[in-house]
Amino acid sequence: MSRTSLSRTLWSRFAVTAAAALLAVAGCSAPGADKDSTGKNSSGPIKIAIIDAQSGQLSSLGAWELKGAKLAVEEWNKAGGISGRQIQLDVFDDQGDPTVGTNLARKIASEGYIAMIGTAESAVTIAMAPILQQNQIPNIASGQSPGMVALKSPFLFLNGPTSTTYDETLAKYIVETKGVKNIAMITNNGSYGKGEHDAFTKALAARSITPVADQVVTTDQKDFSAALTTIRQKNPQIIFLGAEEVESGLIVKQARDLGITATFAGAAPQGTPVFRDTAGVTAVEGTLVSTPYMSNDLNDKTKAFAAAYKAAYNEDAELHGAKAYDGAQILLNALKSSNVATGKALADAIRATKRDGLLGSFAYDGTGVGIFATTIGTITGGKLVPAS
Amino acid sequence: MRTRATALRAGGLLILAVIGWLLPYQLDSYSIHVVDVMIVFALLAIGLGLAMGIAGQINLAQVAFFGVAAYATAILTTKAGYGFWTSAILALAAAAAFGLVVGLPALRIQSHYLGIVTLGLALAFTNWATNATITGGAEGISGIAGPILPGIDLSSEYLYYYLELIVFAIALAFGLFVVHTPLGRRMRAMRDDALAAGAIGAEVPALRMTAFLLASVYGGLAGVLYAGLIRYVAPETFSIANMFFLLAMVIIGGRQSLVGCVVGAAGLTLVRELLADYPTYAQIAYGTVVVLTVVFAPTGLAGIPARLRSTASRLGWTRQPAAAGTAALGPFEPYTAAQPVDSDTRRTEPILAIDNIDMSFRGLQALRGVQLTVAPGEIRGIVGPNGSGKTTLFNVISGLYKPTGGTVHVSGRNLTGASSHRLARVGIARTFQNLRLFGQLTVRDNILVALDDTRTYQAWRYLLWPFGIWRHDRNLRTAADEILTRYGLAAFGDALPGALPYGIQRRAEIARAMARRPRLLLLDEPAAGLNGEETRQLSEIVRSIRATGVTVIVIEHNMSLVMSLCERITVLAGGTVIAEGTPAEVAQAPQVIEAYLGDSDLSHDVPAPVPTEIAS
Repeated sequence: MSRTSLSRTLWSRFAVTAAAALLAVAGCSAPGADKDSTGKNSSGPIKIAIIDAQSGQLSSLGAWELKGAKLAVEEWNKAGGISGRQIQLDVFDDQGDPTVGTNLARKIASEGYIAMIGTAESAVTIAMAPILQQNQIPNIASGQSPGMVALKSPFLFLNGPTSTTYDETLAKYIVETKGVKNIAMITNNGSYGKGEHDAFTKALAARSITPVADQVVTTDQKDFSAALTTIRQKNPQIIFLGAEEVESGLIVKQARDLGITATFAGAAPQGTPVFRDTAGVTAVEGTLVSTPYMSNDLNDKTKAFAAAYKAAYNEDAELHGAKAYDGAQILLNALKSSNVATGKALADAIRATKRDGLLGSFAYDGTGVGIFATTIGTITGGKLVPAS
Repeated sequence: MRTRATALRAGGLLILAVIGWLLPYQLDSYSIHVVDVMIVFALLAIGLGLAMGIAGQINLAQVAFFGVAAYATAILTTKAGYGFWTSAILALAAAAAFGLVVGLPALRIQSHYLGIVTLGLALAFTNWATNATITGGAEGISGIAGPILPGIDLSSEYLYYYLELIVFAIALAFGLFVVHTPLGRRMRAMRDDALAAGAIGAEVPALRMTAFLLASVYGGLAGVLYAGLIRYVAPETFSIANMFFLLAMVIIGGRQSLVGCVVGAAGLTLVRELLADYPTYAQIAYGTVVVLTVVFAPTGLAGIPARLRSTASRLGWTRQPAAAGTAALGPFEPYTAAQPVDSDTRRTEPILAIDNIDMSFRGLQALRGVQLTVAPGEIRGIVGPNGSGKTTLFNVISGLYKPTGGTVHVSGRNLTGASSHRLARVGIARTFQNLRLFGQLTVRDNILVALDDTRTYQAWRYLLWPFGIWRHDRNLRTAADEILTRYGLAAFGDALPGALPYGIQRRAEIARAMARRPRLLLLDEPAAGLNGEETRQLSEIVRSIRATGVTVIVIEHNMSLVMSLCERITVLAGGTVIAEGTPAEVAQAPQVIEAYLGDSDLSHDVPAPVPTEIAS
């Protein structure tokens, strides 16, 4: 009995103390309010995050992006950094998953990164944008979905044209230059495929053309015979492809197996070696590609970039690496011109940056898009060459 | 002793509460985000634990419940313009409705088939979310309005943490309350043995739906909190990979313990965070850990303390408590005649009237035109060679089988083909030939399940009047203690049936059936496996039960017991009644002797000589 009452007294005393402590602490301040923003200080390295898929289906995109951005940062660091400070580029893996992306957006905000490069997947970028905007972290993204522009975030910039530009150029070439009106479409239901589908349909509609077939497949589909058989029945002259590299390659390969001889047409993914190698060089012969980066041999700048890329990674440069390189250059130039500003000032500096880059001339407008032109190439003998 | 344990527990809770309250002060802004996500997953895991661990319903659609609520919140706040709180309530309702739809197949199928069907429905949801326009397709929905509370800025993840913490604490407490009170006990009984649960009055179909309803409401809560936290939804979050992750949390934590599920959720979220840079290896690691857990620790982390204790006591490290094996079965305390369980024994109407019952299984005709009429207060024996249809007849009477022909009247009411739980509520209780105690429930809980007479639809009281449930439960416990004492089982109240000797399990099954306060008790071979002394006690128990006005029907092969105990005996052979009468009449009937001697070669089934003093 005495033991019980003793322990009870102890407990009640403990409870009172704990409650008092609780009230005292809670009364003083809300948690997290008195954090200092580590890293946003003006000494030490300049912290920039690159967020991309380093694993999963989209990891090849992520790898190219990283290589391009890293090349730019290393150039600047070798030249002494910005205002005497080195640039620290840290890579985070979003696994192509928008939710992981939102987690990472919070992570880089809490760890004091002042700007972000990536991601290559529009859905991930769209998911991250509100958090980055809230934390005032400028983001130079590599996606091309018009959905990103629709967010109207003053902190979101694209390092290339949007699907609208790609597909408008493509539709113009096919319909007006080539005079082809018998067009089929096969797109996937991912954010890239959906963006392409909507942009190309719109570009065709502006020319009063309705596609003869409009097949939508899923992003993880491997067998496209059902969709392709439907397309074969319509016997189109050109088939528009709105899917990522590997899936597009599989579609073309299976189309040729089914005896479809029509020419394929597409945008950025169809210009990559991955697409070509998945489908096979003969299968992709003649494919029309709308691209802002025709080849490494286009001019002196692309040649220098391709040589540096080859020297650093012992592989040939391609569009995504070039885009990331341009994006990183724009960010670094803006950091320099603003004397390492952060937040809104840095975003404004990016918007003011003009660059004559690998993809062409960048001049950002209010929507965060800096470049509005692509050119049409054809794959000839496994290489992309300007279309006649 | 008891007070001290309660004090310790209260102290532990208080310390946890203080830690929970002060935690944000120790964390940076990303860590608090991880904790916020962790709480969401813990809620999901509790829901899954309730469906899978407590109610035994394999539910691979938990992630879809989560998704339905998150998407509903997103759509309602961004497209319909509702505020967060209104959307949250509507989203919870949507998740609950979806849960009921997913639960429907459980009425017909169980185990891995149910797993496949629920997985299919989860896939259908993800597919819809990826393709529908209203869900924004693969790009998902961003810009979800967050919750607003006057004076508290919930866009701060620190303050959001407190919102989550409070919801979580209430949800966990409610879950634990359900598990340890009548509703949860019935679900656990159903998990262990759905047939036996039905036979003691648990409405199995309604309970299965309740399990899915609970799982979906917890999933819905998690979805609403997730939408408010992340402010963005996309199909990937509700993918099968995440369903597996959730399943891993529940299996590793210990599915039969809600606290285990929470520990699993917290642990695995942290591990995922640590392995974030190696996603490929992380998947392999989860898979490996799940396999190892299933093989070596099927009860998960939550089961480890119990396993350690049992190992320690086996190795003699700790002093042996009054173990099940050493304590003896206590004496049965006869019912006093002054407390008849049933009042309508004086009615002359037969308590059971079976008319022309047929029962066939595809080609096999197990019962053919069986007639049986049992008067109130009688002890009726049913004998017959093996395979003569005795247990089939019991299964028809107790509603496990629907007869293919004929009628069953109980006290004049036509209850042909009624479900077993309905018949149980009418006052029929039974034991089983091969014991069907609920294996993961203690003996006391076995009795408590049978004692409770509340209907499943009365579960709304859990929300509106939990105190009433608590009081009801306390009354049940008092009644259970009385029954345990009466049947000499007081020493085994906290033991699991599987750990007890056979005779004690037989006794416990009779005690469980009597906890139903039945009018008609069906005993299927109650003396099988009992020794002489136990058989003598059995006949004493049966007589005492009858003395309270309960009618008893006994299937038994022990002829001396049947002859001494029963007033009338019905003999079945080949699915038909071949004789009925007093023990003396039956023992001399030529067709009975022929059936026994003809069917089995002079076996032990031959009726023993009738002890004259009883037969009179």
